Amino acid sequence: MVRFQDVSLRYGAGPEILDRVSLDLAPGSFHFVIGASGAGKSSLLKMMYLAQRPTSGRISLFGRDVSSLSRHDAALLRRRIGVVFQDFRLLDHLSTLDNVALPLKVSGQRSEEIRKDVVELLTWVGLADHLDAKPATLSGGQQQRVAIARAVVSRPSLLLADEPTGNVDNRIAERLLYLFEELNKRGTTIVVATHNEALISRFRYPVIRLVRGEVRLEHAETLIRTSDMPGYEASGSTTSGGASRLRGSPESAG
Amino acid sequence: MLLRKSVVPLNRDSTGRFLPWLVAVMVYLAALALVSAMAMSKIVTRWDHGLSGQITVQLPVSESELSDAEVDARRESVIRLLLQSPGVLSANHMGAEETAALLEPWLGQSSGLSELPLPELIAVEIDQVAPPDTASLTARVEEIVPGATIDDHQRWLGNLLSLARSIEIVAALVVLLVGLSAVIMVVFVTRMGLAVHYQIVELLHLIGAQDGYIAREFQIHSLKLGFFGGLVGVTLAAVTIIGISQLLGRAGTALLPELTLAPIEWAILSLLPFAAALVAMVTARFTVLRTLARIP
Ligand SMILES: Nc1ncnc2c1ncn2[C@@H]1O[C@H](COP(=O)(O)OP(=O)(O)OP(=O)(O)O)[C@@H](O)[C@H]1O
Ligand SMILES: [Mg+2]
Repeated sequence: MVRFQDVSLRYGAGPEILDRVSLDLAPGSFHFVIGASGAGKSSLLKMMYLAQRPTSGRISLFGRDVSSLSRHDAALLRRRIGVVFQDFRLLDHLSTLDNVALPLKVSGQRSEEIRKDVVELLTWVGLADHLDAKPATLSGGQQQRVAIARAVVSRPSLLLADEPTGNVDNRIAERLLYLFEELNKRGTTIVVATHNEALISRFRYPVIRLVRGEVRLEHAETLIRTSDMPGYEASGSTTSGGASRLRGSPESAG
Repeated sequence: MLLRKSVVPLNRDSTGRFLPWLVAVMVYLAALALVSAMAMSKIVTRWDHGLSGQITVQLPVSESELSDAEVDARRESVIRLLLQSPGVLSANHMGAEETAALLEPWLGQSSGLSELPLPELIAVEIDQVAPPDTASLTARVEEIVPGATIDDHQRWLGNLLSLARSIEIVAALVVLLVGLSAVIMVVFVTRMGLAVHYQIVELLHLIGAQDGYIAREFQIHSLKLGFFGGLVGVTLAAVTIIGISQLLGRAGTALLPELTLAPIEWAILSLLPFAAALVAMVTARFTVLRTLARIP
């Protein structure tokens, strides 16, 4: 589903943000991405949603090498990827309803057909009373839920969420994760970048940890032990290709 | 209602607000340039039509005193010679009154005209398919009347033609420059719009909008601005043309061109707003597509 082979990334002449990262996320898998602020979580996701080209290495999505995609095909591929941006990126002049309906409209669906689905989804994320509200009049948490609704409205095969619970309390965060879990059960591959340790221990999905430009795959259990016992190095979950290379899949991960 | 409005709120910012007025000015200039070219080519056709197929033989006022009978005899033999020449259809003497009438627009209705020593003119109709050789004809006429000349109006027509041609070239240049400036303006306005709404453009791109979808947002907006500007410009031009043609009508002299436009010419003018809209639309589209190509 998502396959990185020796992918490196640096911005301009800056330092190496990601250093020959390899990973392979199977269809239907669920991963958390963690790492210190500035570790490159957003950068990793950007490459997954084709907003950033790697400096070197190969990325394939849905079994297709993305560097060889035409612009037309790349757009079609993006429609199968739902993204929750760290900064939401809602359109200020559009209502909640219109913001969420945007991906459907862009892919050519008609307004009448869209409306019912969108309203249902917004009800689910608790925004039924704010259908016509502009983003500026919503709280941070409400905006985040609009952003999430927009990411999932087109039933993407791959859902990438960058800090999707950064602005909501734990109760709502869990609720949102249940939504992701529900989508995951229906086959959506999910990657969630987060700082929220409580969520990671509550939902025991494998974790991609970014440290100094390299990735390590960890079980949620080992992660908890890591945070319990400072200095513990989780080496059991990494695979061939060196301790710092990741060739993880949900099967190998747990 | 759901998603009826445009995704990129271009009509809410000021980036394109001045564009219609600039387009109006440009279409106005283009319209006037076109009309002057059309008027000029009409004059040329009129003169060309009137003068080709005709030459004028001009017999000078003789220096030695000749009796009227001698003058008449001289003229008659020239006419006879002309009529015998191949390519000549008819040759008629133009009397003093006719000659004076020809000069009237230039000299006015002067009573003293008949006293001036005017040359004698012979209007000759020639076969346009096989015209006579003017040079040899002149030589033979000169055997009878030394100093006679033949005016085939080519010099005068030629001057008029080259004037018309220059006006047409200038008009074409004006239209071209106006079009070019319009293109440059639309490029800048579109780039400005892209910069102002970059967040939206990028988001649309990331959620899978095709480049053409994003371009459409901009090109439709640009088309509306271009059309509106073109409409204003062409309306002002029409008012100007009608005003001028009325002034010309009042002056009523044969020397000035007529400025009443034929239906086809009005039709050409009324196409200008559509041309402006088209230029604006196509330019905006290409500008957006070129900018988008830089987003991975
Ligand atoms: N467009 C960019 N141009 C230059 N440098 C960038 C760009 N985007 C990110 N960086 C740099 O890359 C590094 C990783 O950034 P990134 O946003 O991926 O981190 P992150 O793990 O998502 O952090 P956070 O948890 O704070 O969101 C940072 O040092 C950042 O300064
Ligand atoms: Mg980030």
